[in-house]
Amino acid sequence: MFYYDFMQHAFIAGTLIAIMCGAIGVFIIGRNLSFIAHTFSHIGFAGASFAVFAGIDPLLGLLLFTLLGALGVGQLGVKMFRRDASVSVILSLALGLGILFLSLSNVQASFTKTILFGSVVGIDLQDVWQIIILSIFVLLALAVSYRWLKFDSFDQLGAQSAGLPIRWISIGFLLLMAVAVSVTVQIVGALLVFALMTIPAAAARFYTQSIFGMILLSVLIAVLGVWFGLIIGYYTNAPVSFFIVCFVAAAYFLGMLYHRFTERRRIAA
Amino acid sequence: MLRNLQVDHLQVSFNGQEVYTNLSLNVSAGELFAVIGPNGAGKSTLLKCILGLLKPQSGSIRIETDHKKAIVGYVPQSRAIDDEAPIETKDFISLGQCSGLLPWLSKKERASLQEIMHFTDTTRFAKKAIGKLSGGERQRAFLAQALVRYPDLLLLDESTANLDPEAQKEMMELVKRVAREWNVAVIFISHDLSLVKEYADRLMLIAPGRHEISESTAILDQPEKLRQYYRKVPEVDEEHAVPLDSFHDRPLNGTVR
Repeated sequence: MFYYDFMQHAFIAGTLIAIMCGAIGVFIIGRNLSFIAHTFSHIGFAGASFAVFAGIDPLLGLLLFTLLGALGVGQLGVKMFRRDASVSVILSLALGLGILFLSLSNVQASFTKTILFGSVVGIDLQDVWQIIILSIFVLLALAVSYRWLKFDSFDQLGAQSAGLPIRWISIGFLLLMAVAVSVTVQIVGALLVFALMTIPAAAARFYTQSIFGMILLSVLIAVLGVWFGLIIGYYTNAPVSFFIVCFVAAAYFLGMLYHRFTERRRIAA
Repeated sequence: MLRNLQVDHLQVSFNGQEVYTNLSLNVSAGELFAVIGPNGAGKSTLLKCILGLLKPQSGSIRIETDHKKAIVGYVPQSRAIDDEAPIETKDFISLGQCSGLLPWLSKKERASLQEIMHFTDTTRFAKKAIGKLSGGERQRAFLAQALVRYPDLLLLDESTANLDPEAQKEMMELVKRVAREWNVAVIFISHDLSLVKEYADRLMLIAPGRHEISESTAILDQPEKLRQYYRKVPEVDEEHAVPLDSFHDRPLNGTVR
């Protein structure tokens, strides 16, 4: 399996993306931004389509649109975008724009499929380097801002009263999330961003109550999910994204059962 | 260490309606200063101004300390914490240790976290999720989080309102120890005048458009004075208060700085 370059690329890129998503996902869950992450992936779809239309690198289009989206959400306030109606409007608008750009550029259907559903085995060495640089950038930014981000994500009133610049933390985090979504879309696609960005973190909440423990476990679930998807996908020739989703979803449901079991035991005791 | 909190000629208004026109007060280190008054009088607004969350129309707030920037601890009545919040109490308290670029706590920070948890008696439920704590335990965790930064000034916004009388006393005893032993200035808002009478050194009565600072709690024994601020004068129920002896019998573990 590792004889092939495309599998080596897929493992390196997939592992780094899984580490990044596992880590940032804990804060996405803590800040209740799951659906905004999903919205960003659709904005990213419009961006990638625009890039194809304009003849530039799709990653640049993804980054341009998601970063502008992050600034827009940051300026107007995250609360407004937690509403179902606002999310639906933006999702529809982004998908509509994506379809428009694709129809104007007359690209093949395979590109649309790649952006919507991802293509981890289709990435070349240049993509790998882009992913390495962007993932490390996101992870370093998370590490440096860890204490502020943790405080603001899990106790916003406390962070505000401690004098932390919560507005800037919020905008900074949305920008990081935009970068993370842009990178992740290339692996799992715009429609399955949840699979790596929120499900591992949501599952980790069931197993541990420590924030750092949650990050470690979330990263572990995401990395194992990507490896599982790549290995099974390689041998079955079925879509990798499907197996990644299956693995992380299993971790989530098992976690839910484990949590219920331990809660019952705690109440009984 | 705090030298002085000086509020001068504060003027705050919302939607054209004035909350204060000329509010001035002074609180010193080691002092327990109570703010009482009916709902909507602007008590929490005062704390928000001191915290810097609200900008007054005019006036000034000066927090003079020995070091560069004053550290203000804040304990609210409640926080929007999901009952299912999976964060363990120890993690929740350490959220307050937010300065520093390294993601992990230094040896000194870990020691001070232990010290504060010991002092606030939160060690026994350190591993419990914050969402699963009782009201009294939760308030202790909030207090511990505020103390973990070693504040110069501690603000409590009705932080004992949801507690039973015994838990209220336990909480206020801790706060009193913080004020006296750590030499921290404390401003607390309360509707419980018995508690105010027992713990405050000085107090401010506040109602829309008026306020008055009393140098002692003796003013609470003057119903005609209280009537100027409250439509219905709250009772100062000393008889029904939990005797302090029952509290003093319990060990309050921990050391202070």
